[in-house]
Amino acid sequence: MSDVLLLAENVGIRFGGLQALEGLNLTVRDKELCCIIGPNGAGKSTFLNVLTGTLRPTSGSVRFLGHDIAGLPLHRIARLGIARKFQIPSVFPSLSVEDNLKVARWGAPAPVRPLGELLDLVALGSRAATLAGELAHGQKQWLEIGMALAIEPRLLLLDEPTAGMTPQETLATAEMLLRLKGEFSIVAVEHDIRFVRALNCETLVLHQGRRLRSGPFHDIETDEMVRDVYLGRR
Amino acid sequence: MIARDRNWLLIFAVCVALAVVYPLFADGYQLTVIRDALIFGLFAASLDFFWGRTGILCFGHAAFFGIGGYIMALITLNDAIPFGSLLGILGAVAGAAFVAAIIGYFLFFGGIRGSYFTIVTLAMGVICQQAAVSWSSVTGGDSGLIGIPPIAFDVGGVHVDLSQDLPSYVFVAAIVAIVVLALWSISRGRWGTVLTAIQDNEVRAAALGHNAPLRLLVTFILSAAIAGLAGALYVCMAGLVAPDLSGLLLSTEVIVWVAVGGRGTLLGPVLGAIFIQRAQQTISSFNPSLWPLLLGCVFVIIVFVLPDGILSIYARLKGLFKSRRHAP
Repeated sequence: MSDVLLLAENVGIRFGGLQALEGLNLTVRDKELCCIIGPNGAGKSTFLNVLTGTLRPTSGSVRFLGHDIAGLPLHRIARLGIARKFQIPSVFPSLSVEDNLKVARWGAPAPVRPLGELLDLVALGSRAATLAGELAHGQKQWLEIGMALAIEPRLLLLDEPTAGMTPQETLATAEMLLRLKGEFSIVAVEHDIRFVRALNCETLVLHQGRRLRSGPFHDIETDEMVRDVYLGRR
Repeated sequence: MIARDRNWLLIFAVCVALAVVYPLFADGYQLTVIRDALIFGLFAASLDFFWGRTGILCFGHAAFFGIGGYIMALITLNDAIPFGSLLGILGAVAGAAFVAAIIGYFLFFGGIRGSYFTIVTLAMGVICQQAAVSWSSVTGGDSGLIGIPPIAFDVGGVHVDLSQDLPSYVFVAAIVAIVVLALWSISRGRWGTVLTAIQDNEVRAAALGHNAPLRLLVTFILSAAIAGLAGALYVCMAGLVAPDLSGLLLSTEVIVWVAVGGRGTLLGPVLGAIFIQRAQQTISSFNPSLWPLLLGCVFVIIVFVLPDGILSIYARLKGLFKSRRHAP
């Protein structure tokens, strides 16, 4: 059990009268890749917010390397080694691509990857001097992944990394993540099934704030219940 | 070096050259006028360092100017304190920084941003002015304190005496040049880049490991410290301190100077302060009640027509000609 990075136990969260999440468990081991999927409103983003410590669960606990991270200031969580890519691309529009990555590296306790390597990794080597606000949507998403990598995370949490991407960009993103697999743990929240299929990893399916199924993706994909939920039959 | 930096240094060099040759053509009175305008220019640069880099407007910046002024006055007027001028400047800078640290701590770490920050600092300015009026046993009340001696100190065996027009002009011009250059090099480097990132998206910057409230707080403290320095210099040159120096009117004027000169340029606000005060003197001698009306109109025109200030005229003209040339 020593290689467990993130451990969420019996996580529940209640907003007023709404039980948004209930009884969720998730174990992320070092250098593991896993996906959280589910239809709209299943609580995926809420669960991710709990995992990053930005939302405090009303029951259960989230531990990262043994530390309780709920309610810590954002920059402290980042310095523990948790990087996050937001759902809406949130790069710094008035800085150049290069400066965006620099700001990210400056935030890291000990940046390792050189700037040039980061630029190449997210396929923006030729746009280094471009203002981030002028990038195309997919490029912004990639830049943000690059910024998350720059802080040398132990765990990378991605909230719908392919939202708004073309099918080609989606597959390119999946390839990018597969290349990074093995360097650190990645948790991706997604509802694009093609993307999750391309990653082909451990998958947790949420439905109405609860665990519906979990297991390797090919088991999930053939599951009748999951298909019913995705097609809206239940 | 990128073109924007080169242009800035070029304009800075031209301004310094003008400041150096100015005494050859000006008499004593004109020197003191430009000297006082430069002090207000320093004050404007201090506001710009915070406002221009963080996008958060402080509407009570005169509070720090006034605090610096009063501390300087109280220290130099007390004969029991040795090295009055140097300790006074030090005390003024430290006092303004201290007040900014206390207020800034609660605001930044309490998540107060944007217009809420502006409103709270507006109240802070009013409170400071009221305190200066009411605490008359120390501050002299409405009439303030008079008879503040000019700055005089010994440094390395050299006696510096700023009671004459030319030395005081040189001293002030040198300080303004050094501080503006220092602020500029801070704000274009790593510190300024991260501040721009925080201005763009504070949550994102924090999620990358940056302690955004702390960085904003330190910037605010530095800005207030320089405002305090400007206040200390001003009261020694003017020989008096009064509640107006921490008042709402001065807080508003400094915002206009920065807006006219160009927010975020540091040099623009200094020029804005000089030009507007110059215009104020000319127009007020003609008709005193005309000035506030004109000032308001100029402000509105600047905000609508030249939102980046007077320094942007050149860039805009260039852009205009470029688009003409490319037009079919």
